[in-house]
Amino acid sequence: MKKLKVLLVDDEIMIREGFKKLFDWEAHDCEVVGEAADGMEALAQIDTLNPDIVIMDINIPIMSGLKVIQLSRIKHPQIAYVIVSGYDDFSYCQQALRLQITDYILKPVNYEEFGTCIDNLKISLFEQRTAEEPVEQEERVITGITRYMQKHLSEDISLSVLAEEFHMNPQYISQLFKNEIGVGFLAYLTNIRMEKAKKLLLATSLSVAEIAEQSGYGDYRVFTKAFKKAEGSTPSQYRRDFLEDAKAGE
Amino acid sequence: MLRMEIALILILVFVAYVYFSAGRKYTPLHRTFSILLVALIIHLVFDAATVYTVNHLDTVPRLLNDILHRIFIGSMSLIVYLFYHYMAILVDEGTGKFRWLNLAAKIYLVVAAVATVVLPIHYAVTPQGNYSDGIHAEVCYVSTAFYLLLCAWMLLVNWKEIEQKKKFAIGVALLIMIFVSLLQAFHPTWLISGMGMTLMTLAFYLTLENPDILRAELTEQKMSMLYLKSQVNPHFLYNTLDAIRIQAQLNGDRKVADLLMRLVDFFRLSVKVDRQMVELDDELELLEAYMELMCYRYPKLECEYEIDPDLGGVKVPNFILQPIVENSLLHGLKNKGYQGKVRIVAQKLPENEKRMEIQVMDTGSGFAEGKKEKIDRMLLQYDRQAPKLEGNSIGILNVQKRIKYLCGQDCGLWYTENTDGGVTAHMRLPITWEVRE
Repeated sequence: MKKLKVLLVDDEIMIREGFKKLFDWEAHDCEVVGEAADGMEALAQIDTLNPDIVIMDINIPIMSGLKVIQLSRIKHPQIAYVIVSGYDDFSYCQQALRLQITDYILKPVNYEEFGTCIDNLKISLFEQRTAEEPVEQEERVITGITRYMQKHLSEDISLSVLAEEFHMNPQYISQLFKNEIGVGFLAYLTNIRMEKAKKLLLATSLSVAEIAEQSGYGDYRVFTKAFKKAEGSTPSQYRRDFLEDAKAGE
Repeated sequence: MLRMEIALILILVFVAYVYFSAGRKYTPLHRTFSILLVALIIHLVFDAATVYTVNHLDTVPRLLNDILHRIFIGSMSLIVYLFYHYMAILVDEGTGKFRWLNLAAKIYLVVAAVATVVLPIHYAVTPQGNYSDGIHAEVCYVSTAFYLLLCAWMLLVNWKEIEQKKKFAIGVALLIMIFVSLLQAFHPTWLISGMGMTLMTLAFYLTLENPDILRAELTEQKMSMLYLKSQVNPHFLYNTLDAIRIQAQLNGDRKVADLLMRLVDFFRLSVKVDRQMVELDDELELLEAYMELMCYRYPKLECEYEIDPDLGGVKVPNFILQPIVENSLLHGLKNKGYQGKVRIVAQKLPENEKRMEIQVMDTGSGFAEGKKEKIDRMLLQYDRQAPKLEGNSIGILNVQKRIKYLCGQDCGLWYTENTDGGVTAHMRLPITWEVRE
């Protein structure tokens, strides 16, 4: 896999420096190719650098981060955005969802946890690529595996289960994930389980325990813990915040 | 007279409607008042009925007249008893001791009930109107006199310990009732006992049971917290601290960076005052941030958690743990040079599945001579303390008030002394996952 190009947008130099030097981009197959301190500069940099990922602050001079995303979406639909904001406020989050941002994190940024965010981005970039691929006679192996995982999400999935199903060596499959998607097998599995759980939380009225089971977590306390780690809030809180906000927005 | 009874019933039905539609929490006090309201309305209906039947002795069958009178007189004894019971609860909230009078009141209620059923009824016929008299009618006079005396006695004995507002309410109600009862005793044909009881109930309703009073105090508290919140723009604070944190980490100072991160966490969590109830996990997160910073400043401090994992999502009043722990540090462990341990335990109660207990134990210096009694009294009489914004007990008093108002009277905060030194704060809280706003 080629290295992903990253653009940093924040009006505070210290925040940009922090991202540049304190996060191990190399280990995540990424490279910071540019920086911008206001909305105009960000738009220009996106045009010239054509990055894969933009790390974007919302509250920046001249033009807000959300506006920049809206405008650049038209020309560069393939870019993934990560919103970084000090505003502990869900209404931004909702607008961001409407703009199909791939992720949203709050300041202060914990650089260790930021790795999960980059992994999630890679997964959604991979899924985007797969969706755009023309349907061929012979499916790529990784697509087959991920499709199998989506379908059997509520069951026990491990490398050895996949190895048996696809008649391959577990180490080979593990390497396949690293090469094709850029993340480890477990990171991918957790990601799709969380995505499924979030979808169920917002779109259905199933209980948290039922959602845990459908997303492949036998014990719902394990699920709640994993969810809190990934999303920063418990499943019920996540659902309530969304409903409350939807109500307030009416 | 019949018209007056109808007017009284209408007034009480209106009061009952307002009272029950307020959707309040049912503490023993409020429960007694609601029983009183219902009993009084029923009593007035029978009162009105007897006012009619006693003046039409020739047309109404004697048996029907008797039954109506027995229920009327009997319910009057019950209502006066309920008045006594209500006042007793009011007084108990301030003093918290068992009363032998309660037993006497209950025994007398049984005697009155038996007397109402078995004693013969006699009707006096006079040109001004008819009324029942004789030994059966005396029962209600004796009941009234007995319970009013009990109330007056209770009021006088506990005069110093009862809050001003309650004293006023009880005093006014008693005076009205005594005055009306005397009038009724000297003018038996006036038939105004119902009026006395209605006025007495209204006096309680207007002074103590008015749903707006409690709400007003909570709003005031919220306002003062919002005021404190507005002092510093929190975003300025986080963003500046965050910039310093990144600079520290860029300089390679991981320790400083981590501490600043915790400080940002602490501020971010503690300015979230717009929610009355938060999850226990949120409270613990705030506490952990606070304790990590304190343990850094005082390396001989230790902190231990023992939290039942099932309770993490339970809703508790916002900002109750940190003030208690801070109190343990400043009044217990500080005297020992900040050397010792704080242990936080959250567990379900085996005897009641709807309640849990949070304990904050410290190995500090314990209570000074007489301090425990002072704290006990303050926490017991939490609603008599004026909301003040200074002094070192404001934190725990505030916690007590919020638990009482948001979770109900059976919950609350109290302190015990550990056998091996130090004190333990206990908080009894409901296990709820939903928020009632």
